[in-house]
Amino acid sequence: MMWVETIINGVLYGGLYGLLGVGLALIVGVMRVVNLSHGEFIVLSAFIGVSLVGALPWVHPLVLLLPVALIAFVLGFGLQAVLVNRVVTRPDPFAAILLTFGVAVVMRNLMVEIFGADPRNLPAGRLAHASAGMFGLHVGVLPLLILGLSVALFTCLQLIITRTKFGRIVRATADHRDIVRLMGVNPGRVYNVVMGLSLALASVAGMLLAIRSSFTPYSGVERLLVAFEVVVLGGLGTFWGAMLGGITLGVAELVGLKFDTNAGPLYAHLLFLAGVLLRPNGLFRVRT
Amino acid sequence: MIRTRWPFAVLGALVVGAAPWLIGEGALRFVSEAMLMLAMAQMWNLLAGYAGLVSMGQQVFVGLGAYCLFFTSISLKVAPFWVLPLSPLLCAAVAAVVALFLFRLREAYFAIGTWVFSEVVSLLISKTERLGGERGIGLPTARLIDARWLEPLTFWISAVIAVGAVAGTYALLRSRVGLGLMTVRDNDVAAASIGVDVWRNRFIAFVIAAAGCGLAGAVSFTATLYVAPGFAFDPNWVVAMMFIVIIGGIGTLEGPILGVVIYFALRELLTVAFGLTGGWYLVGLGIVAIATMLFEPAGLWPLVRGRLGGDWLSVRRRPPVPAPILAGAAGAAPAGAPSASGYGISRRDR
Repeated sequence: MMWVETIINGVLYGGLYGLLGVGLALIVGVMRVVNLSHGEFIVLSAFIGVSLVGALPWVHPLVLLLPVALIAFVLGFGLQAVLVNRVVTRPDPFAAILLTFGVAVVMRNLMVEIFGADPRNLPAGRLAHASAGMFGLHVGVLPLLILGLSVALFTCLQLIITRTKFGRIVRATADHRDIVRLMGVNPGRVYNVVMGLSLALASVAGMLLAIRSSFTPYSGVERLLVAFEVVVLGGLGTFWGAMLGGITLGVAELVGLKFDTNAGPLYAHLLFLAGVLLRPNGLFRVRT
Repeated sequence: MIRTRWPFAVLGALVVGAAPWLIGEGALRFVSEAMLMLAMAQMWNLLAGYAGLVSMGQQVFVGLGAYCLFFTSISLKVAPFWVLPLSPLLCAAVAAVVALFLFRLREAYFAIGTWVFSEVVSLLISKTERLGGERGIGLPTARLIDARWLEPLTFWISAVIAVGAVAGTYALLRSRVGLGLMTVRDNDVAAASIGVDVWRNRFIAFVIAAAGCGLAGAVSFTATLYVAPGFAFDPNWVVAMMFIVIIGGIGTLEGPILGVVIYFALRELLTVAFGLTGGWYLVGLGIVAIATMLFEPAGLWPLVRGRLGGDWLSVRRRPPVPAPILAGAAGAAPAGAPSASGYGISRRDR
């Protein structure tokens, strides 16, 4: 029974991991660029959340998801417009990686200097400890809510990309950056919005993760690695693949911790390396 | 050319040999650190600038080299420098094994794949009590070396490693492997079509870079007499290597040398002269690197070389000059064929 509970918790936790990764999957799919400052933006949104909770203590943190996501959208839009768009068209595939890594280093150390290196978390009140019993299993209410929210966001993203005019423009830009110009699309503007969306999703994940476990300015590295593992395991360009990748990693991590209490994310990393060895194109790649 | 460089090499060796008596202990330690950093940066440059492999996990070899030296030195109860050659060997062996699967990842995926590998090794070592776990281990066997000689020895070894890293990379790039690497970097499809083994050349570069970083890491931690996973596998190692290479000039051998000078000058300027903390220093360095990526992606060395002129450590091969061949041809040409003399005036002129 304990194992079943562990696996269920892993699935719930994994939904959050999927959410961490899906923003990165979006960027990779549309721009063929990995944003190495993804993890730092996740942590920054958690810090913004903590500051907002401090300023508005009567508002529940879950309500603050929306304003934080909006701020993250604006930050992402700005990051892309001011910095990344200048290198994204260069033939050198490493320009964007090195640039965003520089951004990550600057942000990480700025956060250390501004917010301090102490671990923080986002208090969620009674909700954090509430649990629901079902068939003799105890499952936290908050993790269930988080998984529900993740699924809802995934569905929204999927619908936006596949069913709307904006989604069609994004897919066309991803396929042929130069040809969409002929149809009057400015790829740079599309990229700005996509980066904004990516970081908005990441900020929701960052807030939720901050409710579940504490974070420091240095947590960005772990967050980025998880997000990246989700993208690679899920296979490129499939959002549901990212969700499944996240769930796989979540289960691996919690089952690993059950065996070995001080392992940290070791087993998730090992699973990732094994996955890369066996299926370099992702575990859940959908044939197109 | 070689002959004219000899006096400089001898002079350089004399200066390095005498340095421990010429400069203070603090300065000696500082220069040792800079030279080890140069070696590591040059290794990262070999990977990113020539082999097209951006590794974000190069710190794993720094850490492994250090742990290898500490572990073997303590277990065998010998002075640390005797077991120094084992560190690069271990790192090369580990790199050869992990390359088999990390090379399945491309570009950014490779970058983060190496980083994940580094995290895995770091976590495994943190869990190994024999290696001190998270607390780390000291180096009691350093007492086997006369304390007065520890600093000078570290300095000389660092100097040899730094010169070896630059000269070795130069030699490698002038070799067949280097030519292969550069053709792959410039156009991998064309390189593969003329029979360059892309995988093999990259593999050699990756193994050499791992060995170099392992060696430099081992010496670096011998100087501090203490190693812990948090320091050994610190991503800031690769941050430093990367910034040095980007600012100095990626894909040039002189770039990392210039980069190391700028890196340490900035560090001293910001932390000593302006009294900034390490965090603000990294912020400043990051901003300089971002600005370099945006405005001068080739780094500062091409600008400096443009001012100074000359060939420096260019690994460029000159195409065979046609003059001697033509001179020979002209000499051999019969006297009755004056049009063949000299460069030969083109048909259009006649």
